[in-house]
Amino acid sequence: MAMADEHPVRKPNKPFYFNTSENLLRIGRQKAISVFELWQALQTCPDDSIFQHTFRTLQDHHFIRQGFSNDFAHWCLSACNEPVLAEQLASVDVREFTDVQGLRRRMVGIVDEFLQQHPQSGTKLAHEPFYFCAASIVVLPTQFAPDTLPGFVDGLRHVSLHSIHHHFIEARLRLHRMSNDFSNWLEQEVGLTQAAESIERIDIYTNTMEGVRHQIATIVEQALN
Amino acid sequence: MKTEEQRATIADSAAGSRTEAPVAENRGGIVAPDAIPAEPGRAKTRPLPASVLTPPPPAPSPRLDDYRDIIGQAQVDGLRFLARDLKGKSIKMVNSTAVGGGVAEMLNRLVPLLSELEVPTHWDVITGGNDFFEVTKAFHNALHGSSYELTKSAQEIFLMYNEQNRERLQFEEEMVVIHDPQPVGLIRSRDKTPASWVWRCHIDLSNPDARVWEFLRPFVEQYDAAIFSSQSFARQLPIPQYLFYPCIDPLSEKNKELPDSVVQKVCDEFGIDRSRPIVTQVSRFDRLKDPVGVVHAYKLAKKYVDCQLVLAGGGASDDPEGAAVLQEVKEAAGNDPDIIILDLPPWCAFEINAIQRASTIVVQKSLKEGFGLTVTEALWKGKPTVAGAVGGIPNQIIHQLTGVLVHSVEGCAFQIRYLLTHPDFAKRIGASGREHVKENFLMTTNVKRWLLLFRILEEAKARGAAR
Repeated sequence: MAMADEHPVRKPNKPFYFNTSENLLRIGRQKAISVFELWQALQTCPDDSIFQHTFRTLQDHHFIRQGFSNDFAHWCLSACNEPVLAEQLASVDVREFTDVQGLRRRMVGIVDEFLQQHPQSGTKLAHEPFYFCAASIVVLPTQFAPDTLPGFVDGLRHVSLHSIHHHFIEARLRLHRMSNDFSNWLEQEVGLTQAAESIERIDIYTNTMEGVRHQIATIVEQALN
Repeated sequence: MKTEEQRATIADSAAGSRTEAPVAENRGGIVAPDAIPAEPGRAKTRPLPASVLTPPPPAPSPRLDDYRDIIGQAQVDGLRFLARDLKGKSIKMVNSTAVGGGVAEMLNRLVPLLSELEVPTHWDVITGGNDFFEVTKAFHNALHGSSYELTKSAQEIFLMYNEQNRERLQFEEEMVVIHDPQPVGLIRSRDKTPASWVWRCHIDLSNPDARVWEFLRPFVEQYDAAIFSSQSFARQLPIPQYLFYPCIDPLSEKNKELPDSVVQKVCDEFGIDRSRPIVTQVSRFDRLKDPVGVVHAYKLAKKYVDCQLVLAGGGASDDPEGAAVLQEVKEAAGNDPDIIILDLPPWCAFEINAIQRASTIVVQKSLKEGFGLTVTEALWKGKPTVAGAVGGIPNQIIHQLTGVLVHSVEGCAFQIRYLLTHPDFAKRIGASGREHVKENFLMTTNVKRWLLLFRILEEAKARGAAR
């Protein structure tokens, strides 16, 4: 719940430009048929493969409230029957990372530690291979570029969920800081520091993306009122 | 219009029971299923109502705005934004058939939508003699894994017709898309055009006959990009490979929303009792769809929960193997009056839609599958779906989240029991399944993928020209 901001709301100096991003999936050259091969491929696959199977897949499965976090965790459970490793990989919150390299290191580290503790699990064949993919991304403008808070809430309620994902989740890779485009704008342009912090704390793993949209709008409306 | 005599022949043939069909009481043009005397130990195919005996007229193609209520204004606007920078640039699609088959069905919807977005899209169909299509049919089977003796004569026939079509067709568009292996040799026209060339492969190349693939591969490698329907269908190639899932049209007869009264009417016509749970599999009578396994799973589940089983399919009237499978299904079904077997003509999309909507659970217990569009259709209707973990089905069903995957008759039976006795869970995975389809497997998503690919290739071309 947002608390009342201590600073007065000011008129933004610049509008919030709602963009959206669309992606086309490329089939990569690497695949893994065991946990050991996953560990190997995680170290050498392109950055955009790591991005695809963590950040991007959250968007592809935005309607699931629980039980889905990233493709690596899902594969370890469904194809390798390794629930411990799956839980550990699933616990990684992509929003803790402002670059893909950091996320890659965390994933590799988890699998590495698991293989040391469970060496017999490393070469057990999975039911189906893990195919590494990557996305070609095209960022597009939308018709929404509000320069008022009510206009911002209106845009928030009307843009696609891809736009919400673009500004709320992928943004930290662009900003290279633990924030998102919405919080950034609300804090810097409008002075809504606490609302910005509340938005940043929204749990994306127990919400659908539609739920995230609703929570952001509610926080801003409460700040407005 | 067909004569009554022709209609009767179709009815008998479609029901796959020309010699067995008893004289049934006719109630207002509908043959009453309860009027059929059961043969001891073997189920009957339900007779078809008169309304399905002739094909309906083709429905007009939807406009982009018709999808607004389904995908939302923002998504429709997104398509227009994507198309804006491509305005005036054109696409050519080339395949081997104008009617019948999934590719033609998809192009029939895709081409008008792209053109409406002011990306003019032309669709050409290659021509060939019977000898050509015999060779390409054999190639198709070989690429799916059947063994095939690739003769010099077959290669010559393939190349000759590709050359003839190459001379006949003009390639003046900015992007040329060649669908499937039949016209793959048209790539030889590439040097005469500034276009980006894309090979769209709709078939599973995961285990091809090596000789046929090695014959085709040099052609494929000359394209700018290849597209596959699943990660597992792709090959190692030196060109970029993209993933385009097959898709369904939510406004087609097979998938459009239906009023409950219409669903009820169709169920009444087929003798399906909507007051009791309905478990349905829609598929051709084909061993790879395992309809006999579905009957066994239903029988195991029925020890614990009351339900009916509807097996709605076709292919038994024009395919000897289909007829044999239908007989096996009838024998497995025995005298159970709750097993409803429907051998439908291919134009019964509307009736299939109604039956899927009436179902409590949809099953697709395939042993081998391409992508499995019947699963997509069921998920789109929000139905809790139990399906074999084969082919493209795991792309659609995330186990326990958008449906349930099974690997055996026993597993299928258990999941039927579980879903029928846990309606909240069933409802939840049904709703997630529908969202998954909305995000990934609708025609509008397919339009978006083509626009994205076109933009990416145009940008790559521009970068190449700048260097």
